[in-house]
Amino acid sequence: MKNFSPGLSDSIASVIADPALCPHCDSSSHIAGGLCVGCLLQSGLAPDDECAAETLVSALAEITLPDKNWRLGNYEILEEIGRGGMGVIYRARQRHSRRIVALKRVLGYHADSRETLARFRREAQAAASLDHPNILPIYEVSESEDGLPFFSMKFAPGGSLQEVGPALKNDPRQCVALVAKVARAVQHAHAKGILHRDLKPGNILLDAHGEPLVSDFGLAKWLDTTSDLTRTLTIFGTPGYIAPEQASGPAAELKPAADVYSLGAILFDLLAGRPPFLGSHALSVIRQASETTAPKLRTLSKVADRDLETICSRCLEREPSARYRSAHDLAEDLERWLAGRPIIARRILPPVRIWRWAKRTPKLAGSVAACIALGIAAVLWQIESHSLSAAVREDQLTARSIAVLPFLDLDHGRADATFAVRIASSLQTNLSRLALTRIIPILQAGSSLAGTGSLQDIKEATRNSKVRAILTGTKRIVDGKLRLSIRLINAATGEVLLTQSLETNPGGASALEAERAVEQNVNSILNMSDWSALDPVTPDPGVKNLRAREFIVSGRELMLRQTVETFDKSIVCLERAIELEPLSALAHAYLATAACSRTYFISDERFLQRAELEAKEAVRLNPNLPDSHRALAGVAHRNGRFLEALEEQFRAVELAGPEERIAGFIGMTLDTLQKPERALGWYEMARHWETRPGTNDACIGKCWAKLGDDLQAEHAYRRAADLRPEISQGWVGLCHLRLLQGDLDAARALYQEHGPRFKGDNDAEQMAAQLAFFARSYHEAKRLYSELEKRDSRGGTSYDTEISYGSVLGRINQALGDSTDSRAMLEHSRSRELAALKTAPNSPAISYRLAAIHASLGDTDIAFQHLHSAVANGWIDYRTLRIDPRFDSIAGDFRFREIIAHLASKVAVLRRQTDQPTRMVFNGGNTSP
Amino acid sequence: MAAEGSGAPRNFATTRWSLILTSADLEGDDRKAQQALSELCRLYWRPIFSFVCRRGHSAEDAQDLTQDFFLMILEGNWLRHADPARGRFRSLLLKSLGNFLNDAAEKRHARKRGGDVQFVSWDEWMAEAPSRLTISARALDSWPAERLFDLRWAATVVEQALRRLREECESQGKLRAFEALSPCLGAEREDVSYPTLSQTLGVPEITVKRLVHRLRQRYRSLLRDEVAETVADPAEVDDEIRHLCGILAASAEAS
Repeated sequence: MKNFSPGLSDSIASVIADPALCPHCDSSSHIAGGLCVGCLLQSGLAPDDECAAETLVSALAEITLPDKNWRLGNYEILEEIGRGGMGVIYRARQRHSRRIVALKRVLGYHADSRETLARFRREAQAAASLDHPNILPIYEVSESEDGLPFFSMKFAPGGSLQEVGPALKNDPRQCVALVAKVARAVQHAHAKGILHRDLKPGNILLDAHGEPLVSDFGLAKWLDTTSDLTRTLTIFGTPGYIAPEQASGPAAELKPAADVYSLGAILFDLLAGRPPFLGSHALSVIRQASETTAPKLRTLSKVADRDLETICSRCLEREPSARYRSAHDLAEDLERWLAGRPIIARRILPPVRIWRWAKRTPKLAGSVAACIALGIAAVLWQIESHSLSAAVREDQLTARSIAVLPFLDLDHGRADATFAVRIASSLQTNLSRLALTRIIPILQAGSSLAGTGSLQDIKEATRNSKVRAILTGTKRIVDGKLRLSIRLINAATGEVLLTQSLETNPGGASALEAERAVEQNVNSILNMSDWSALDPVTPDPGVKNLRAREFIVSGRELMLRQTVETFDKSIVCLERAIELEPLSALAHAYLATAACSRTYFISDERFLQRAELEAKEAVRLNPNLPDSHRALAGVAHRNGRFLEALEEQFRAVELAGPEERIAGFIGMTLDTLQKPERALGWYEMARHWETRPGTNDACIGKCWAKLGDDLQAEHAYRRAADLRPEISQGWVGLCHLRLLQGDLDAARALYQEHGPRFKGDNDAEQMAAQLAFFARSYHEAKRLYSELEKRDSRGGTSYDTEISYGSVLGRINQALGDSTDSRAMLEHSRSRELAALKTAPNSPAISYRLAAIHASLGDTDIAFQHLHSAVANGWIDYRTLRIDPRFDSIAGDFRFREIIAHLASKVAVLRRQTDQPTRMVFNGGNTSP
Repeated sequence: MAAEGSGAPRNFATTRWSLILTSADLEGDDRKAQQALSELCRLYWRPIFSFVCRRGHSAEDAQDLTQDFFLMILEGNWLRHADPARGRFRSLLLKSLGNFLNDAAEKRHARKRGGDVQFVSWDEWMAEAPSRLTISARALDSWPAERLFDLRWAATVVEQALRRLREECESQGKLRAFEALSPCLGAEREDVSYPTLSQTLGVPEITVKRLVHRLRQRYRSLLRDEVAETVADPAEVDDEIRHLCGILAASAEAS
């Protein structure tokens, strides 16, 4: 086996000792895929018809499965995400587990290389045996039907350091922390006797939380990972990062020190924005690496300190034995730096260098030694002046420093770190043109779920990055346009300095203009030395007037106690505040919320109307006040106008960022809109911030139950019951789950166990009534619902089942043989629901209730009309529909069975799309592992 | 050597090499021709580089020399100084390259290093059309530079044709079809399993066979188009392919 250097092998050819001769043409030369060059040429001579491109296109059209439905072994190929000379990488889905994986398939093999394939398999299996949190796990090594080997591994959605790296350039702590983790991972592999051989930014992937994952251990030589052709140097086996001995020596003699070199080169690249050596072509890069000393890090990086420079130099020593002894030692030193302790790689290196240099040029060495003493003085002076200007620069940078937090994707209820990185890099470029600016993207603030711009995240970010301002925001798609809302926040106080929303076609010219406008505003705020003079973004007269403010504060406090009595008191306080400051949007908004919340305890149309008026007044007075939108959202929600509620909730989040209550509220709205798969993300977010653990778990359980994932539902309900035993929702949810599962005995047993502790609890009593009703124990059901109706004549809507007391009692009376009374009750309910439908024409819940009433009345066709419109508007809860006694009269109808079957398959699809228990993941681009 | 059957590619008059030759005949300063020549160089730089390497130059020198050679061709009056009998792009290029290296050996010490205009962007060119040629160690050690040049040429032709075929499939969203079927392009391979392909692609075997047939036909057209770009007369396409096939045969390796 003879090898050219990497650059040449690409240019001329790879060479193998005794390739098999082609039986057809006697040639021994092959190209990718093992195709014989001779045969490929000869086929050009075969007498054949011409074939135009169109002919091929029409032949290809016979393949109806598009590329995305491609299967390989046990995997469904979703898309190609990278390609090189020998390998191709796909995003794929494992067929049974539905797990998304990255799949690498080796394309380039030679027809005569069974042995090569076996070796590939052995090495891939060795790599698969590595088990470390920062090593990309390999799941399976296998072979496709056509005999080509492939392996599947974790899909890393966060991209690679190659994409994220440039944005980290000014954050040495983050760079160092990343490389320290990578070094630990590399050490783990070294301990198992596996070298990486091709460590580079493109091979360090990032998981959903921004944690590094080292990929392709020991496999680099098989894969020729040229997934990114834009950075063309990589096609040679990455000369910017490989150790000099790797370019010249036999692969078998490589030592761990080669990987240590690459780790140093990666750290260098992260901090300096480029690898240590550059050149117009690979050979020149490799030559430099083996002949010259790496440049000083601080000549290229403005943020690196002397210790980091020393650490990099130590890794980049040409002589392997002069580097860190192991990746472990490097990791330790990086961790020492992070902890602010002295590093071990002290500056003992110059003598080593001089010695080595003396070996080459002994004559000169003597005179240089004499000059060194003189030189030290000059060097000291330089260091001093350098650090002085650096201090001035540092001050300037600090004044114009912004941390960019992940943006919240409102449509999906999750943080989008990639988007923030993009904004950060655009800001860095454009603001730096105006003045020295430091932009630090923070992929992950604090705990693993944070990063969506909540106050906690902002505090966390400030603590670590010492910036003056924080930029974060939200994004969502509105009518096909990207609506972007940014918030610039004073890092010291948490005050909002600027909010701005822009709606643009992504990538359009107006998008650029809008971005410039934001940048200009951000720039002018950064230029102010004192922010205390800035007006608050949302001044409210009610807050400025001390007496009014007192009433507002008391009103709010009373409102939060959540009883009819305290709501009434709260309303009185807020009315007083409005008397004093009629233009206080805040007072109007709180008043609306108090009045609206009261109706959840006792239905009262007057309070609801009052709430509506007050909320609209609040929005009119100050459309930039998040509380106005929250109040209006509450009223819209209560009136069944859920889409409007969602819009107002989103507006509130755009203005103030998310926190537990609004996130939970959005979850509830989405859940009511029959979008449990979207609601989950928001509930999970609320759970992440919840001040009292267990508050949101029952809602999460409800979503999973709706999605038919009973295991997840059970888990969440139990968590709710364990963490909040004083609240009924957890075990009531479990009762409901048993009901859906058709296990009425288990549901009743649960109720008998917990029910007695919750006398008077609305959820618990509704569940008791529902259990009796669904068990067709109509006498008991009548007693229970009558009691509920006495308390709240217009009430209803039991746990996740659209029930109004009136209509249920009508159906019960019907079952008990009281037909006249029942008909009157049902018709009364119907007219009420029809009125409600007028205010919220697209409500699936109202349509469902109407369908139930008509089915009870025996109007089969009208019942189906409403049921179809409920389904068309998004109703998915087929499991309840299937057992709801109100539909008994039409349950045998084929249309009913069709609806059930349709919904069951729809829910199955939704469930699969929601296969992660925690949906709040960073939404990275599909990058090439 | 007459054109065999339907061997003439369409639009022959506009192939690059004929355009270049026409332009040289008219002694015009045709930018189109210049453009065509530069495109051809961009496609066929690997044979040149291989030739220079095989002549014993270090990789680094080979890069410099290749660079200079292209400059000479593209900026000088290469065509006018070349043999008027001309012929194919490949043979003319090889001949000029031999002369150039002989001259260069004399001027070598006088050559200036660095600061030269870089015509060849190595990284870009390699990235644009990556190549995966494997040859026998024996060929590399014993073949003369001219034969290595032709071998590299042959590989470039087929790789370029395959690349274009791949692009055509990819543009139809049928990359998987290309990947599954392209191994069948080499020859009537015994190991092609139509049932397996039928399963992979989700179409009946008969369709697979039809597809393989169409793919082969299309590949053939593209290959002939590629070759045609480098010859002056359509009749020469078959001849040129035969010449390259002859070069590849291992039985001739003793030469």
